[in-house]
Amino acid sequence: MTTPQITIYNALTGEIITRDMNAKELAQFEADKAQELKQAEAEAKAEAAAQVRKQIVLDRLGITKDELQTLLG
Amino acid sequence: MTTPFPFVAAQVLTASELNSITNLPSSTKTTSYTFTVANAGGRVIMNAAGSTTLTVNTSIFSAGDVVEISNIGAGVTTVTAGTATVSSAGPLAVPQYGGGRLVFTSASAAIYYPSAVTVAAPAASGLTFISTTNLSGNQTNITNCFSTTYTHYEVRFSNFACGGVINMRYGTSGTPDTGSNYCNYQLYVDSSSVGQGGYRFDDTSHCLISNGSAVRGNSLFLSVSSPFESVKTTFAVNACGTSGANSFGSLSSGLVNTSTSYTDLVLVFPSGPVTSGTVSIYGLAKA
Repeated sequence: MTTPQITIYNALTGEIITRDMNAKELAQFEADKAQELKQAEAEAKAEAAAQVRKQIVLDRLGITKDELQTLLG
Repeated sequence: MTTPFPFVAAQVLTASELNSITNLPSSTKTTSYTFTVANAGGRVIMNAAGSTTLTVNTSIFSAGDVVEISNIGAGVTTVTAGTATVSSAGPLAVPQYGGGRLVFTSASAAIYYPSAVTVAAPAASGLTFISTTNLSGNQTNITNCFSTTYTHYEVRFSNFACGGVINMRYGTSGTPDTGSNYCNYQLYVDSSSVGQGGYRFDDTSHCLISNGSAVRGNSLFLSVSSPFESVKTTFAVNACGTSGANSFGSLSSGLVNTSTSYTDLVLVFPSGPVTSGTVSIYGLAKA
């Protein structure tokens, strides 16, 4: 697996450096990745729970999702 | 010690006075001034905090007379034609530590030869281009893009493609701020679902785009307010692009809950490296 790359552009001098991330940068990048994964999982879980709650209500009402959309439209 | 000028008949010239021939008689002025014949062959030094004028009138000097001008004050001094004519190929405004030479061609006309130092042009109004760079890798740091010159900045992303998430944080002198001070508010809509809204407090970065799969975008308009000032920096972003068969749009805003002065913009692509795209930064003129 290749080491993630970082590009540093100095807007004052125009100097561009592209290199492998150092240990500190890599640790932060891995933390960023973990945070995004955690966030995505939480959002997916919340979305799935919302769908279950919606279906429970639809079942109580005895209508389908499309029929609900028609009513709300 | 200066060499007596004009030297008159029967006057005694001492050795030290003669040796001072390269030491121009100088006269410092702290307010606007009109040249007199006593300034011929000498130097007028302006030292004023505000703007001043140096006025040239007719029938004071003769052809061949020279007056040196220098400005050591913060205020710009302007060589001004009073009743005489003043011609110049350069600017008549003399900035601090600038100067020039006034050479009379007649009693009523002079030519001003300014030094190479000129008054800086006022900053252009509207947006001023600062930099553009290609996005690459998993992180792009743009250093020294924020300064005291501007308060507000516009950042435009073009034709970018990346793994689905673009995060942003700020930095100072090359060191990103990874503290848990970033607050985010986001509205997101794509062509396969209804809209979603969300917020994050105490995050370690701002989120510009958050998509579950790879994205391509043609537009991402980012506004950053007061990054260099020691106040809470705020941002607002409007992004639009495609992700697989779907298109999406998102609006986000947020702030950094700390009053830190930043010089750098840091873009992180945690869900996959950016494979194309450019980012351009513009400063919004203060006046």
